[in-house]
Parts: sequence; C-alpha cells; structure tokens
Amino acid sequence: MTILATEGLTRRFPRVTALDQLTVNVGPGVTGLVGANGAGKSTLIKILLGLLDPSAGKAQVLGMDTTTQGPEIRRVVGYMPEHDCLPPDMSATEFTVHMGQMSGLPRTSARERAADVLRHVGLYEERYRVMGGYSTGMKQRVKLAQALVHDPRLVFLDEPTNGLDPQGRDEMLALIRRIGTEFGISVLVTSHLLGELERVCDHVIVIDGGKLLRSSSIADFTQTTQTVTVEVEEGRQALAARLTELGETVVEHGRSLLVQVRAPETFDTLRDAVCDLDLCLVRMEQGRQRIEDVFKEPVSRESADV
Amino acid sequence: MSEPTGVIHDIGYRHYDGVRLGRRHATVALAVHSLRGIFGLGRTIRAKIIPFLIVGVMMLPAVVSIAVMALLRQKVMAYTSYGSIMQAVLAVFLAAQSPYIVAPDLRFRVLPLYLSRPVTLWDYVGAKLAAMITAMFLLLAVPLTVLYIGELVVDLPDPVKTGNYLAAMAGAAVSALLLSCIGVAIASFTPRRGLGVASVIAFYLLTSAVSTLVSATMESVNNYTASGWALMINPFFLVDAAVHVGLFGADASSPVVYPSGGGAVALQLLLVVVLIALSVIALVTRYRKAAAR
Repeated sequence: MTILATEGLTRRFPRVTALDQLTVNVGPGVTGLVGANGAGKSTLIKILLGLLDPSAGKAQVLGMDTTTQGPEIRRVVGYMPEHDCLPPDMSATEFTVHMGQMSGLPRTSARERAADVLRHVGLYEERYRVMGGYSTGMKQRVKLAQALVHDPRLVFLDEPTNGLDPQGRDEMLALIRRIGTEFGISVLVTSHLLGELERVCDHVIVIDGGKLLRSSSIADFTQTTQTVTVEVEEGRQALAARLTELGETVVEHGRSLLVQVRAPETFDTLRDAVCDLDLCLVRMEQGRQRIEDVFKEPVSRESADV
Repeated sequence: MSEPTGVIHDIGYRHYDGVRLGRRHATVALAVHSLRGIFGLGRTIRAKIIPFLIVGVMMLPAVVSIAVMALLRQKVMAYTSYGSIMQAVLAVFLAAQSPYIVAPDLRFRVLPLYLSRPVTLWDYVGAKLAAMITAMFLLLAVPLTVLYIGELVVDLPDPVKTGNYLAAMAGAAVSALLLSCIGVAIASFTPRRGLGVASVIAFYLLTSAVSTLVSATMESVNNYTASGWALMINPFFLVDAAVHVGLFGADASSPVVYPSGGGAVALQLLLVVVLIALSVIALVTRYRKAAAR
C-alpha cells in the first residue's frame, strides 16, 4: 500500500529551486524526511497538502492527486507546522475543539476527540489554562494534538522536536512512535537530525537541495551511522592515538571524539583503552549525528573517484 | 470478590468513525467562533469590557428615548438618525474589534492551520467578514429594535413610524457591510493589534474631519452642492444619504442638505458599492500574500 507518492516533483521559486525531480514512494508506518534547513522539506509538505502547485511532476497522497483533490486530502490528513501557531489567549482545550470543528467534526464530537487527544499527547490539568503561559514542550504537544484531533489517516509533522530539551525530545519521539504503531496513523516526520529519526522511523528519506539523496528502510541506515561520542576530561589525544593503534576509526570533534562502531567489541576496546590510560571519562553517548556528517563522507569519496 | 471500583483503565487510542461535515460547516463554525470572540464571549474578562461597554453606550439613547416617550409623551429622534448620532461609538467599536478578528491569526501564524484543513482562504476571509458584519449590524439593529418595541408599547398619539424603522434597519445593514469591509481590510494589513486599532480609528477621524471641514468651507462660499458632496466623504453620512434619504425618503440626519435627485442617489449607491469592492480587493490581495508565506 502506498501512502504517498511523488513523481518528478519539481517546484521552482523565482530565485531558488526548492524541489528538483523528486520521486519517492512512502508506505504506511513512520517515515522520516531528513534534510538540512532549506532542503525543501516544508515545500514538499505544502505541495502534499495541496496548498502549493508543483512547477512540474505530480504527487499523490492516499491515492488522491494533490493539485485537483486538495480539500479531500486535507480532510483526512493532519499537519503540525514547524513554527509557533497557537493564539496565546485561548486554552488548549478550546483551541483543539475549534480546530476539530474546522476539520469538519460536529461540536460534541470535537469536544470528545479533543479531550481524548490531549490526554494522549500528555496534557492534563494545564489544558484549561491559556496557552500564552505554556512551555515549549507543552506548546509542541498542543500543536500535535490539533493535528490529530480529527483522527487523520496520515499526519505531517514538521520538526516536532524543535526547541525541546533532551527529555522532551525523547518523549516526543516516543509519542510519534506510538502514533505510527498503536494509533495506526501513518506519519511523515521531518527533522535535520538523522540520529533521532533512526529511533522511531521505519523508513527514511534524505533530501538535499530539493534532490533525493537516499530513500531506504531504517535497517540500511544504522550501519552507516553507528558512532559513539566519547568525552574525557584530559588526554583526548592520547586516547585517540591508542584507539587508532587498536584499529578503530576516530575523528576529533571539538572537545569530544567520535568513534565508529565496527562491532560490539568496539565498546569493550573503548572501555579498556580509557581504563589503561587511567582517564577520567565524562560522557559516552550513542552518536546523534547531523545528517551533513553522515552524507558528507560518501559524497566526497564519490567525487574523489571521478 | 467484588470488582475494584475507581480504577482508571487505559482504553488506548480510539478511532473516530462519526460524521465528517464539509467546508460549509467549518466556515459557519469559524464565523460563529469569530462573532463570539468580537463580543468577548469565551474569552477573558478583560476582552469583554470594551465590547460590552460599547453595547451599553449604544443602548443608552434607546432607553432614554423610551423613558422620554413614556413620561413626556413625545418623540425624541428618528430611527434613521440613530446611526449618525452614534457614529463615533460605532467607529470605536469597529476600530477596537476588527483588528481582533484578523490580527492574531496573522501574528501568531494560526492561518496555516486553517489552510491545512478543508476550508479555503476565501472561506476564511468570508467567515471573518461575515462575523464582523453581523456584529456591526447587531450593534445598531438591537437598540433600534428595542426603541421600536418601546414605541409600540408606549403607544403615542402619533402613528407608529414603521417605515422609518425599516429604513433605519436597511441603513444599519448597509453601513455594517460598508464599515466592516473597510475596517477589516485596514486592520488586516498589520499583524499588530494596537496598530490596527490606531489605523481604523485614524481612518474614521480623518474622513469625518475632512468631510466636516470641506463641507463647512464650501458652505461659507455658498456652494451648497459641493458642501453636500463633501459630506459624503464620511461613510456614515454616505449611507444616510444613499439609503435613508435616497432609497426610503427619510429626513437627512446631517446639518447640511445632501445632494439629491435620482442621479445623485445612484452615484452615492455606486460609491458605496465601489468602496466595498475596493476593500474586498485589498483583503484578497493581502491574504493571497499572507497565504504564500
């Protein structure tokens, strides 16, 4: 089953080409759309919602054509924008009910759905307060709730983890995973961090400069992105030298080291090396690499071959 | 063993399989939501103060008139002059409330959320305009109707002026349409509410001052036609001249004689239509730009 499909999708603005011959197919489940800022992610979502006409090519969402069936698509699709979009003088409940009605729900159903959805995203007593005083985490939850209130078949989440602290990020990602599995709603989620999408997505699409860089299932990605960030108090160079000596690939990255994980033994090697050198280990974290880092390497290698 | 009571069950996610209504339902819901918001209903106490104060002030002449009619057995004013007498109050209401219905959606970027739903941009603009028009109409029509009912109840020796009442209601409808279109169009150009309030009130003060000034100058040089036309710069007198006097033959409620005759009335009506059209075009242009962001 195909949830959305694009074919040779191109969108030119007077001064930039936001999308360039993009052809992708997305199945059900959670799909990540990764790209740096300005890669064309938001433009793609606007086209998929039928709000922007493509310059060339075509796109289908749930079997409906985006240029001719925009209103029908928007009826069964939810959208969480990247930017702030909440009026500060309304309560989360009122706002979600109102947005439910805007999606075509009768008032009583909208009330029920709003209460349900706000509970699912984790807003309880605070939902009766005006949103002006909400924290970023709470705002993101309301934004998600309004996208889900009409029980869509597909949701577009544009940078849902933006501005959240690490714990908030984890909660948001867990919630996205639940939407895709437990709720049975397909998700297209954008981010510029591949690392965090890895944890929740079934499939990842990478675009850069409006072009498709890669589209594959998550299993193919994990190998290329397995790195571990190591931070020690002193003796960073010594540790790097020792690890290289032991056959590991190490890259210095600011005050920390990025170590490529070849096999589970890498962790043992790392631990032993730190112990042997008697270093003070501050942090060891599974790599949350930026997409640029992952894709810079193969690209530069290719160009070197030419 | 009995079932434990007061246990919270996690019933999980429930899908919605009820009715899904269309665009029209959403548009009406938006209009009702906006109309309630204009009068501060469903908003904080602070948001209710200004609209209710203005409604109170608008009711005042009606209440006083009924009292005078009952006690002194005397008519105080014609229905058709109600709007012109209270024009400053109507203008303040327009200035205070029209930015409320357009500015926050632009400022806090709620517009993209509406547009990601079945409603189109024109449904949105239409709903907002309809809400403002209804509010302006109610603001004038309710005191007029109260006054009319008062006149019926008091039962003066003179015949009840039903014709004049109906003319005033028609005028209220036209002025609500004209003023709301102008007010919302001006207010939509700034996402800041304060600036919107200032712009709309400035528009009213400017038109009313210029029309009075030019009219008085023209009168002093004995050019009465020009003096009458100068008064048409003020939208309240324009509606009074075009609808009350022109269409219904009521007495003018301004100190200056309006330009009269079939041609003049047609021109005044055309002016009303042109002003409405210009405002709507301005709104459409504004929102086309806002939606593209």
